[in-house]
Amino acid sequence: MKYFGGCDVGSTYTKAVILDENGKICADTTIRSKINSEISAKLAMEEVLSKVGLNSSEELAYLIGTGYGRNKVPFADENISEISCHAMGVHVTDPSVKAIIDIGGQDVKGISIDTDGTVKNFAMNDKCAAGTGRFYEAMARSFEMSLPEFSNLSLTAKNVIPITAQCTVFAESEVITLVGEGKPMDEIAAGIQMAVAKRCFVMSKKAGATDSITLTGGCAKNAGLKQAIEHVLKLKVINLKTDPQLMGALGAAEYARQKGMA
Amino acid sequence: MRDLKHLIFFENLLQEANNDLVKQAKDDGKRCLGYTCYFMPEVLLDLPGCFGVRLRAPRSGSPDMATYYMSNRTCHYGRSLMERALEGGFNFLDAQMATETCTVTCRFQEHLQQKKIDSVSDMNIIQNPDFFCEFIDVPFKKNENSVEHYRKQLECHVLGKLKDNFGIDTSDEAMMKAIEEHNEVCRLITEIGNYRKLDVPTITGYEFQVIQLVSLVCPKYLILPYLRETAEEMKTRQADAKPNYRCKVVLAGAENDDPAFTQLIESCGALVVADRHCYGSLPGREEIVVAEGQSPLEAIARHYLETSYCPRFMPANDMRQRKKYLADIAKEYKADGMIVVSNKFCEYWSYERTIDAIVLPRDFGIPTCSIEKEYVNSASGQLRTRFQAFIESVEIKKIQGGAKK
Repeated sequence: MKYFGGCDVGSTYTKAVILDENGKICADTTIRSKINSEISAKLAMEEVLSKVGLNSSEELAYLIGTGYGRNKVPFADENISEISCHAMGVHVTDPSVKAIIDIGGQDVKGISIDTDGTVKNFAMNDKCAAGTGRFYEAMARSFEMSLPEFSNLSLTAKNVIPITAQCTVFAESEVITLVGEGKPMDEIAAGIQMAVAKRCFVMSKKAGATDSITLTGGCAKNAGLKQAIEHVLKLKVINLKTDPQLMGALGAAEYARQKGMA
Repeated sequence: MRDLKHLIFFENLLQEANNDLVKQAKDDGKRCLGYTCYFMPEVLLDLPGCFGVRLRAPRSGSPDMATYYMSNRTCHYGRSLMERALEGGFNFLDAQMATETCTVTCRFQEHLQQKKIDSVSDMNIIQNPDFFCEFIDVPFKKNENSVEHYRKQLECHVLGKLKDNFGIDTSDEAMMKAIEEHNEVCRLITEIGNYRKLDVPTITGYEFQVIQLVSLVCPKYLILPYLRETAEEMKTRQADAKPNYRCKVVLAGAENDDPAFTQLIESCGALVVADRHCYGSLPGREEIVVAEGQSPLEAIARHYLETSYCPRFMPANDMRQRKKYLADIAKEYKADGMIVVSNKFCEYWSYERTIDAIVLPRDFGIPTCSIEKEYVNSASGQLRTRFQAFIESVEIKKIQGGAKK
């Protein structure tokens, strides 16, 4: 049996997936990224390789790197942008989905998918990290909560307090001011979710999303954000049957499978 | 490909505005005239006794001091020039010649200009007692009236001032000599640039941009021998056996004097085969033709007004012509896609870029990547992802297109 690997070295988490010849996921992992991308990739790959009984990435028939540290994956045959990989990952998971909002550690992307899983169009934020995983980490920190606690809190809000600043630094300062004024925490949290959802609205419209949409990346697990996006976009957000954080690595592994089998 | 003989020398010339050739020309007793826009005809700044330097601010960081004077709502390019001036990096200039075209560079210049009136405390940024600023108005149309208006502006505000301040010879004979030298630079740059049209180009976009830039920022008489030698070298230069790019693109848009940006695109897998942007060669390196019975100044005014495809010209036919020009370049240079870039707060290209991103794919079928950037590209990781994703989609379309045929 031949195995094919995809390793998505993100700015916050590193993900790895191994597929067999039939495209079945044989192993996957998600680990916190280290400062050194090469070490992150090595650690993630070691974990998935051991799950399928392989000793080294060299034993894979084909390996593709993706994500922010994509060109640092040891023994990778090539690297492909995370935009293309997320599109392919979602396509093989649910071919009916035609648009993605990918919220990673340091960027937000709107991606529309062609019938063959390739990218039809995409839009991406500029260098500012507003509305990304880093933004959420900063917000949760100012609430002295974990990310799941923060997400759950926002779901309990009856009202939404608008957050005007999108910049992580200014938003944190705005939140501290609102908390200081005694405003309800759940409503502030809902305001933060709404601010990010509006940013996702712009990305998905730019990318050409029309009917259904799905969320990928670590922030896809944020139920409060999902609810806010559904509200803002007036679109059904489809839940994927595979962990949405793995879509980049899965897409990379699928590309590896296609190339390795060709 | 084998390295070009003078590439490192050229790269070094781009590390400072006051580069070795500028210093040499100053030592030769020539006056150095700074400018920023195509509409300040470089050929007039290269009259005998003086030379033009198109201003850049290489190796810029954050323009904090300039932001204090110009606000953070102005383009990074103008602010970076101002920052460099405040740092003392433009003290070699004898004059700054501006045009009413790119507003932010006018705002840059207004800080340099000494008012010499009691009610104003001059900033004295340029530490050169002979330094002066001049400014011309450039028409927004391209009709006969506009050509005449532009000619008069050049006559009064460029030739007149150079003669009065520095005793520069502005006779027709002197202008013809400058045109001759200018045309040789244009011929050489065009000849070198034409190698980008080959099926497998023998020059990269980065290399070409470096060569084009040195022709703008160095005295012509000193850079010409190197350009001649490079053009000769190009005649026998062989492409690599296996091309290391995945597609070819046209780079279009606003002010771009940063070869590292082109290098970033090329490192993602797209060969930049045409440069249709400010400080680029398309258009910009066409020869000036003086018709029989025509004065050199009229020929110059007509040339610069009529060859430009700057988005400042708003008539509908001009706008349409610009899109067609881009499509024609893409075809001529066998490009698979287009990367259109504007600098944040660029008043003309912000609008033009948005329209290009819609019109080029829709009306001409050209895949287009639209990017807003700053003068200094600190966000190279995100730009790299965007370029790579664009290149991957262009490559797939190319393969699918080939399969359909």
